[in-house]
Amino acid sequence: MSSINLSGSRSASLKGIKARAKIGNALTLIIVSAMAAIVLLPIWWIFRSSLMTNNELYAWPPSFFPSRWLFSNYAETLETFKFWLYFSNTMKIIVPAVTGGTITATICGYAFARLRFKGKKVLFALCVGSMLLPPMVTLIPQYIVWTRFLGLADTYWPLIVPYFTGGGAFSIFLIRQFISTIPRELDEAATIDGAGPMRILGSIIIPAIKAAMIVVALLIFITLWNDLLQQTVYINTEPKFTIVIGLSMFRGGLKADWAKIMCATCLSFLPGVIFYMIGQKYFVEGIVMTGMKN
Amino acid sequence: MMKQRQKEHKLSTAAKREARTAYLCLTPALCGLTFITYLPLLAVLVLSFFRWKGLTAPTFNGFDNYIRLFTTDPYFKDSVKVTIYFSILAVAGSMIYSLVVAMLLNRKIPARGFFRVVFYMPYILPAAAVYIGWSWLYEANFGLFNYILKSIGINSIMFLNDSDYIVPSLALIAVWLSGNLIVIFLAGLQNVPRIYHEAAEIDGANSFQRFIHVTLPSMSPIIFYNLIMSLITNMQIVVPALALTSGGPGNSSMFMTYLMYRYAFRSNQIGYACAISFVFFFLIAIFTLILFATSRGWIFYEGGDD
Repeated sequence: MSSINLSGSRSASLKGIKARAKIGNALTLIIVSAMAAIVLLPIWWIFRSSLMTNNELYAWPPSFFPSRWLFSNYAETLETFKFWLYFSNTMKIIVPAVTGGTITATICGYAFARLRFKGKKVLFALCVGSMLLPPMVTLIPQYIVWTRFLGLADTYWPLIVPYFTGGGAFSIFLIRQFISTIPRELDEAATIDGAGPMRILGSIIIPAIKAAMIVVALLIFITLWNDLLQQTVYINTEPKFTIVIGLSMFRGGLKADWAKIMCATCLSFLPGVIFYMIGQKYFVEGIVMTGMKN
Repeated sequence: MMKQRQKEHKLSTAAKREARTAYLCLTPALCGLTFITYLPLLAVLVLSFFRWKGLTAPTFNGFDNYIRLFTTDPYFKDSVKVTIYFSILAVAGSMIYSLVVAMLLNRKIPARGFFRVVFYMPYILPAAAVYIGWSWLYEANFGLFNYILKSIGINSIMFLNDSDYIVPSLALIAVWLSGNLIVIFLAGLQNVPRIYHEAAEIDGANSFQRFIHVTLPSMSPIIFYNLIMSLITNMQIVVPALALTSGGPGNSSMFMTYLMYRYAFRSNQIGYACAISFVFFFLIAIFTLILFATSRGWIFYEGGDD
């Protein structure tokens, strides 16, 4: 009798918890939607401004939608903001840097994850330690070497070559973490079959860590994308400008023609958004890995 | 006996071969650590004791650069203050924002994938374009934010032209950009065993108590990781000064990296700029060390995993 009673009250309380959870989830959905709207608002505002006349931009109160969608603003902006030139210049840096960075990061990460050698701990510590050292700190000596000793001012070399050293400590670290999650038995089986380390890397490891490699590629992409400082320092002439330099120069020259500045801004947003949409699934998966084993 | 020795010999050549392969594989990383990280760091330290205008040979001047920095430099003290102020606001803001968003996204709601894309989106936009885009939202008379302020009856603010408001305004953009932290937090939350939450719930803990006693302790290693990464990112802030403010108004956005850039690349005071770089490095090292030192007290590692 009492046992029936007990189980009855328990199922009632469980029902209560479930009902509360449902209300909680509905509430969460409302809050999350509101926050998402707030996060998207700046992007929408920038985009809507790019389609307006300057008169409309200075109207009060401002409206959330352009009265007419002036895509002609973009055509006018492209007359002075040489987006395609800047875009292809940016790609001339990003494509080799991303390729070189991803390949070298994979090889180095593999060595740290799987191979045995003297000094591994020290080397790995130095590598992780360099993650804490901001690249800004070492910019000046690097600049001197690239421009004075090697005479490579106003070229893309100083922006590309450093990525061929493993794409930065973070990339190596990420690849190593990924490889550590692959069962060693696979390698051992291959070793018994007479495969050397490079064969194992090529035929077992790389197929298993494709997601991580895409993440490394996208992270290098974003780093280069954001690195206005180094690009400003190394690139001096207009035909070599990248998107971010071109955009800041464009803004500096116009000051108050906000409609056109917003067009140029939206154009600069575009490649990142497209690349992100393509690699989105892997990207989130990989970022998740970076935060895990720490 | 013979056989065993042969076997050992074979093993050691295999080990040697493996080590040789490893060093070969690590050549890029070794070059990077040597020529991009540690040698330049040493060079920064050495150069910071020299007076070097770039054209003539450098001349040794002991601690003069550092003395000038801490005594007569009209920008340096402000730049340290502004950099730390910005970092505290941006790190605290983005940690709280991204933890809250991650916890909301961790609940069973529809279209989670879509929301994750939305909150992550700002992170993949080029920072220079983001700051330039936001500068229009912050515009003094016709910007979005002043429109919102006016419609709720608050006087408009000259966000980017007011030395009291510029750092918080820029820090808000940094918070908006911190989508990568959300994704990492979200991963961490999904790793918190559900049993803990259920046990606490049955014991009658409300959701705030569960947050304090279950979520925070089990998330502490990830909070620490995000804290360090966010600190290092935000201390290096330079893009808004380069693209928008040139350090102004006054010195109110004269971030340390930007000041270093100005001395090194605008007025060719290379030795002096290296002194700033080194102080900057020192500051980051101290903050990181403090975080590591205090971490033992509040980081909870499950089951003493190595």
